[in-house]
Amino acid sequence: MDDFLQNNGFLIVTLVQQSLLAMSLYYPLMAGQLSLASPGFYALGGYVAAIIGTAEYFAPWRDSLGWVVFPLEWLAAGIISAVLALLVGIPALRLRGIYLALATIAFVEILRVICLNLEITGGAIGIFGVPQLFDSRWNYIWTFGPLLILMLFFSYRLDRSRVGRAFKAIREDELAADAMGINPTRYKVLAFVIGAVLAGVVGAMSAPFLNTWNARQGTFDASIAYLAYVLIGGSRSMWGPLLGGTLLAALPEILRPLKDSRLIINGLVLVFASIYMPQGIAGALGNIRSFTVRKLGFGGGEK
Amino acid sequence: MKVLLDAERLCRNFGGLKAVNNVTFQVVEGEIFGLIGPNGAGKTTLFNLMTGLTPVSSGTLSYQGERLTGLPPHRIAEKGIGRTFQNIRLFKGLSALDNIKVAQHVRTSSGLWGGFFCTPSSRAEEKRVDEKAWELLKLIGLADRAGELAENFSYGDQRRLEIGRALALDPRVLLLDEPAAGMNSAEKRALTEFIRAIREQFKLTVLLIEHHVPLVMNLCDRIAVLNFGELIAVGNPAEVQKDPAVIEAYLGAE
Repeated sequence: MDDFLQNNGFLIVTLVQQSLLAMSLYYPLMAGQLSLASPGFYALGGYVAAIIGTAEYFAPWRDSLGWVVFPLEWLAAGIISAVLALLVGIPALRLRGIYLALATIAFVEILRVICLNLEITGGAIGIFGVPQLFDSRWNYIWTFGPLLILMLFFSYRLDRSRVGRAFKAIREDELAADAMGINPTRYKVLAFVIGAVLAGVVGAMSAPFLNTWNARQGTFDASIAYLAYVLIGGSRSMWGPLLGGTLLAALPEILRPLKDSRLIINGLVLVFASIYMPQGIAGALGNIRSFTVRKLGFGGGEK
Repeated sequence: MKVLLDAERLCRNFGGLKAVNNVTFQVVEGEIFGLIGPNGAGKTTLFNLMTGLTPVSSGTLSYQGERLTGLPPHRIAEKGIGRTFQNIRLFKGLSALDNIKVAQHVRTSSGLWGGFFCTPSSRAEEKRVDEKAWELLKLIGLADRAGELAENFSYGDQRRLEIGRALALDPRVLLLDEPAAGMNSAEKRALTEFIRAIREQFKLTVLLIEHHVPLVMNLCDRIAVLNFGELIAVGNPAEVQKDPAVIEAYLGAE
C-alpha cells in the first residue's frame, strides 16, 4: 500500500486537483454562463502562493508563522481572485454564450502574457523552489481532499438553496428569471466569482504541490481541458465535474503503454461521449437509475 | 376607487414602426382589465413596457404613484407585478415545484452563507417557501405532479403553472398574456372562474390580453382596445362593443 501511494500519489492528487478545477467551471455553468476563465484564476492563485512562499519581502512572515503561512496563501489567493473576478465579471458577463467564452479566453491569455513579462512572477522562467507543505506528494491529499469534500457539500447545499435556484432559473430562461424578480447580473457575477475563488485557491494549493510555478500553468489548452471535464462528466449534476475530471485526467496515464497513439483514443473518447452522452456521464447514470426505478420497479427511494 | 397603474403617453418605436403610440390609460385597484385588438396591435409590447422587458421610447408608467419606467424587470417584479408570457416561458428543465419556488425569490432573503450553513433563519425560510409552493400547486391542481419537469406538462397545464409561478411573487397586479390560448371551451370556462377566484383570494388587479371575445366580455370589468399601436377605445364591455372605431378595426369600415 505504501509503495502504491509513493508511486501513484502524485497521480491521485492530480485527479482530485483537476476535478476541483472542473468544478470551478460548473458554478458559472449552473447559472448558464460558459466561462473559460478558470486557468487564469488558477495561475493567479499559484503565483500568489509562490510569491508569498519565496519572495524576500515575506521572509519574516514565513519565519514567524511557520506552516500557518500556507492557509494564509490560500486565503490571499481566494480574496485576490474574488476581487479580480468582480472587476472582470461585471463587464464580461454582459456578453452571452460563445462571446463570453471568447472574452474569458482573452482574459486568460492577457494574464498569461502579463505574468510572462513581469519580474515579480519570474518572467518566462517562473518561480522555482516554492516551499513544500509536506515531504511526500501523496500527503497533499490532505489539502486537496478536504477542499473537494467541502465543495461537494457546498454544491449539494447550493443546489437546494435560494441562490442555487436563482442560478438555475437564469440558466433556463434569463428573461423570465428577470421578470420573476431575480437580478440576473448579480447572480451571474456571483456564480463567476465562486468559480474564480475556487480556481484561485486550487492554484494556491498547487504551487507548493508542484514546487514550481510559471506561465504555462494557465493556458488556453487548460481552458479546453476543464471544459471537456465538465461536458463529459455532465454539467447538470454536482457529480459531473468530479466524474469527468477524474476520468479524463486519468485517461492519458491509463493509456500510457500506447505511447503517442493514446492521444487518438483520448480524442475518440471525447467525440463519442459528447455524441452518445449529451448530458455527460452523470446524466447517463441518472437516466439509467430513473429507468430502473420506473420500468423495473426497484432501486431508488423516491416516489 | 384607487388608481393603481397609470400609463401616460407610452410610446415604443421599433425602427420606423410605432408598436405602441401615445397610449394613456389607468387601471383601478381590484378590476379585471382586458386588452384586446387585432394581431400586431401592440398588446404584448405594451405588457413588455409595463414589466420593463422592453424599454419605453417615451412616456411614463407609474404604480401607486411610483415611476416604473426605467426600472429593470426584476425591480418591477419586486414591487408586486407578476406576469405570464404569450409563448410560455417556464423554467423548462426545473420541476413544477422548483418553478414556483424560484418566483418566491423577492419575498425571501437567504444568501450563500445561510444556504451553506443551513442557519435557523434560512431553514425556517426554506420551510415557508416549500409550504407556499405546495399550496400554490394545489391551487392550480398540479400538486400530484410536483416533481415532474415543466417541459413534460401539456400546454394547458404549462399555462396554469405559469400563473402559479406568477402568483408566487405575491403580486398585487397580475398580467396575463393570452391565458386561454389553445384551450377548449370547457377549459376556457374553468379558466374564467379560476381568474375570478384568484382575484378574490389574493386581492389582485388583473390585466389580460385575450383574443376570445366572449371570454373577455364575460370576465372583464373594463376593456381597452388597441389598433396599430394606438388606443382606440376604453370602457366597459357593452360600451366597447358598440364603439364605431372598434367595429371598424375588427370588421373594416362600411
